[in-house]
Amino acid sequence: MSIAELQAYGYVVALVFLTVALYAYIYHLYTKRKDSDGHDYEEYSNMALKDDITDTPVSEKPKKK
Amino acid sequence: MFHWLEKNPFAFAVVVIVTIAFAGLVEIVPHFAQQARPVIGTTPYSTLELAGRHVYIKNSCNACHSQLVRPFKSETDRYGDYSLSGEYAYDRPFLWGSKRTGPDLMRVGNYRTTDWHENHMKDPASVVPGSIMPAYGWMFVNEADIDTSYAEQLTVAKFFGVPYNKPVPMKDGSTKIIKMGATVEEARAMALAEAKLITADMKNQDVKDAVENGKIPEIVAIIAYMNSLK
Amino acid sequence: MEDRPLEYDYSVTRLFMMNTIFVGIVGMLVGVILAWQMAYPELNTFLGEGLAEYTNFSRLRVLHTDSVIYGFVLSAVWASWYYIGQRVLKVSMAESRTLMILGKLHFWIYFAASAIIVVSLLMGITTSKEYAEFEWPLDLGITIIWLLWGAGIAGLIAIRREKTLYISIWYFIATFLAVAMLHLFNNLEIPTYFGSGGIGAWYHSVSMYAGTNDALVQWWFGHNAVAFVLTTPIIAMIYYFLPKESGQAIYSYKLSLLAFWGLMFVYLWAGGHHLLYSTVPDWVQTMGSVFSVILILPSWGSAINMLLTMKGEWQQVAASPLIKFMIMGSTFYMFSTLEGPIQAIKSVNAIAHFTDWIIGHVHDGALGWVGFMVVAAIYHMAPRLFNREIYSKSLMAAQFWIQTLGIVLYFTSMWIAGITQGMMWRAHDEFGNLAYSFIDTVEVLHPYFTIRAVGGTLYLIGFIMFAYNIYKTTSAREVEASELQNASPMGA
Repeated sequence: MSIAELQAYGYVVALVFLTVALYAYIYHLYTKRKDSDGHDYEEYSNMALKDDITDTPVSEKPKKK
Repeated sequence: MFHWLEKNPFAFAVVVIVTIAFAGLVEIVPHFAQQARPVIGTTPYSTLELAGRHVYIKNSCNACHSQLVRPFKSETDRYGDYSLSGEYAYDRPFLWGSKRTGPDLMRVGNYRTTDWHENHMKDPASVVPGSIMPAYGWMFVNEADIDTSYAEQLTVAKFFGVPYNKPVPMKDGSTKIIKMGATVEEARAMALAEAKLITADMKNQDVKDAVENGKIPEIVAIIAYMNSLK
Repeated sequence: MEDRPLEYDYSVTRLFMMNTIFVGIVGMLVGVILAWQMAYPELNTFLGEGLAEYTNFSRLRVLHTDSVIYGFVLSAVWASWYYIGQRVLKVSMAESRTLMILGKLHFWIYFAASAIIVVSLLMGITTSKEYAEFEWPLDLGITIIWLLWGAGIAGLIAIRREKTLYISIWYFIATFLAVAMLHLFNNLEIPTYFGSGGIGAWYHSVSMYAGTNDALVQWWFGHNAVAFVLTTPIIAMIYYFLPKESGQAIYSYKLSLLAFWGLMFVYLWAGGHHLLYSTVPDWVQTMGSVFSVILILPSWGSAINMLLTMKGEWQQVAASPLIKFMIMGSTFYMFSTLEGPIQAIKSVNAIAHFTDWIIGHVHDGALGWVGFMVVAAIYHMAPRLFNREIYSKSLMAAQFWIQTLGIVLYFTSMWIAGITQGMMWRAHDEFGNLAYSFIDTVEVLHPYFTIRAVGGTLYLIGFIMFAYNIYKTTSAREVEASELQNASPMGA
């Protein structure tokens, strides 16, 4: 197989994969609406709006000591 | 399902890299497997021409002049044959430019002379009335850097196999050898000999005197380069 | 020190912010000089024959593009990063000594490198590759600066309190990764001094790629440097500053995530549109063209998301000049991301390429989108960095209208100039001969070059008003921190 053929197959496979992944992601966002922590995606806008250092994080990072 | 992507910065970074690298991998990398083959008649630059190319780059001539003739009638009428990939085989870097404030220079050696360039670089509007190109008076004074040019020749011959001192096929079936000095002293002497051929067609006495005294002003080098563009 | 409540630390932000304004004035001033030189070439020797080499169009041209892109814009991006990064990750730089040291090193090495770059470009030390003109020692320096920033990003993320990364952080990370990749591959070069065993100038290098391959890599870089310096970090900025200043949540956070991945995937392909009808393989050219058109979707996804964020709150656009800058910026973003794909269509490109239309396109993006967003970001940050109200709201409004007028004059004149020249180059008479000599197509542009120079000058005047406004802000009336939640306080 020549390099041009490899290139062509690689291109098609990768393109299909990325397209499927993107649409799966869109489907996931709009059907589930919430991420696995149970936060609605739209809540994440509050990361900008409530960003004082004393504000409570939208999804707190578990403390590890 | 996509949790790992949104909350794990490392996984996120990896996915971004894969997504952005994809285009480069497909579009660019495979072309490097194919060596750019020079078309017949394309020769490496001589020491003086390469020094002239450095003067061209130093003054960003490529900011206003392209070296790429597109395959349109209007362009081939104006500038000559359209460009072929192999004609650029020895161009490191390429100098296609992205703006034509002035005309294309891909084949300027076919229709301009040493004498024309000399007058034009000193005062562009004297040769082309209405020209907005600035004058390049300092090129008549500053010395061209022959040593760096020679260093580049040595480097490309060593790392990229550019055929100096080897026969290169020409269009008429003959071969031509572009010589490169064995030492830096020899390279300087060869550049000076080539410079004298250029100054024979020039009028500026200061430039002629400089070359007689073993110095090569930038203007001589850049004219050598311009004349080589065919 | 220990008893005080934890606060965000903006010392690095302040340094970058000052540098943004300073380099902005320099870079735009050089641009204005260039514009007048094209209209009146005798200005090439405006400091006399003796200094002609350093005041000449060809030396200044490189200085203009590099100082604006890597001086003005990057400084603003970094000022914003050191501000937004802390806030949306809810962690202060003051919590880590290492991060503070990295941040300060980042600024000062960058500052020193910028000074060396200015001198070297004026001396004509350049590789000729557009936006990658720096020779190998500077390329190494840039790599170090970039890694310092990357270490700063990684460090701040590592100690964050907010688990999820806000969309702006996504864009900053993408900027870091993509520019690193582009910079490394485009600048592969061999120093000739070492290649030849010690002959010639030590700083000179020769590209690893020749001819067509070199062009391919260069425009893959050149196009995406625009993407990842002038687009993605600016989107990062607007996704924070617009919601924050207006007090409105992003219209659709989900849409912002989608647009992100779309942009990441599509943008990199479009570099080929700089090489249409050149000697690069035909399919790469077609791909560049097609993907450029597809690029409208993710670009408009972000832009529409921004405009809709103002839904129901449009009175704020009338009331606040700061919001005006951001909304006008988004509008120019939509405009130039539509214009770009049009120019990338092969038959349009046949006329547009090599002409001033491209220059016009770059500037409606750079002046309208990037410039306005930088101005808005600094206006938003300044009151919070200095605990002062913005010195003058009316000066701000005046600046907005002067600069907008400047941009309109700029791009309209360049459209006409570009299309006029493109059409004249290809015009034939009835016998099939070229109708115009090249110089005809230059002389006809004089009025448009003059209008453009006026437009650029207006923009510069607006920017100097901005610098003055910020300068006076540092000594304006003090405000209580509690007033700063959303809309920035402004004096009359």
